[in-house]
Amino acid sequence: MTAPRSGARRTLAELSVPSEPGNERRAMEEVARTVEGLGLSDRTLEKLKTAVAEATMNAMEHGNHYRAELPVIIEVAASDAELSVRISDEGSGPPAFDSETPDLEAKLEGVQTPRGWGLFLIKSMVDKMNVTGDEHHHTVELILHLDEREGGT
Amino acid sequence: MAVRHLEVGVRREPGGAVLDLRGEINGFAQDALDAAYVEAEKANPEVIVLNFEEVDYINSTGIALIVGLLARARATKRRLVAYGLSDHYVEIFNITRLSDFVSVFPDEESALEPAT
Repeated sequence: MTAPRSGARRTLAELSVPSEPGNERRAMEEVARTVEGLGLSDRTLEKLKTAVAEATMNAMEHGNHYRAELPVIIEVAASDAELSVRISDEGSGPPAFDSETPDLEAKLEGVQTPRGWGLFLIKSMVDKMNVTGDEHHHTVELILHLDEREGGT
Repeated sequence: MAVRHLEVGVRREPGGAVLDLRGEINGFAQDALDAAYVEAEKANPEVIVLNFEEVDYINSTGIALIVGLLARARATKRRLVAYGLSDHYVEIFNITRLSDFVSVFPDEESALEPAT
């Protein structure tokens, strides 16, 4: 796998994983292999893997309700400026994320549920996240700005 | 990719109880973590140490399980500390603020040292 040479957006891979618990790891490892040639730092790669895993888990759980016959589709694309990973499920309407900002002290006091970290983690791991949805699909797009990554951030 | 279900060993050391975690901390890990924590509490330790050296994956559900352990530790006035986290998971402990409540150490020796 080599980095795209032009500013045009190129699809690097289209992946599919069945909606079964644990398959988010398969998704993140396949995305990691796909982007090997892009020269991401170890730190950036680990952050991307966590974001992909969390978005895939959300798609399997809330979009496809862990029905194995419903795949999560992952498209990896890149230009000189950015890397995009689009993760789509077969749910309808806007993607379901816990919209409450996690507050650890509130969780420790029982005011918030201990869960609800997924969206927060995704947003913390990538430069930008776009969410879209229609009556047939949800898509979460994860974006890394490749041209702002001097110094291994 | 097969899920590496969490296995947890419990050791009693002079400075506290150590939970040796092996595998993935995800939604499948709850029973193993709960059982190990109950076992660790039997000796009434002041400190419970989470050894992450052989953990290669923690997801958001796993973070929630660690929050649950922390809540239990605080309710019984115990310190929960950790060592063996990779740089990536140290960063996640920082951004979630878990590291404000769970001190993260580089090794077991320092994790078991008495708090000053």
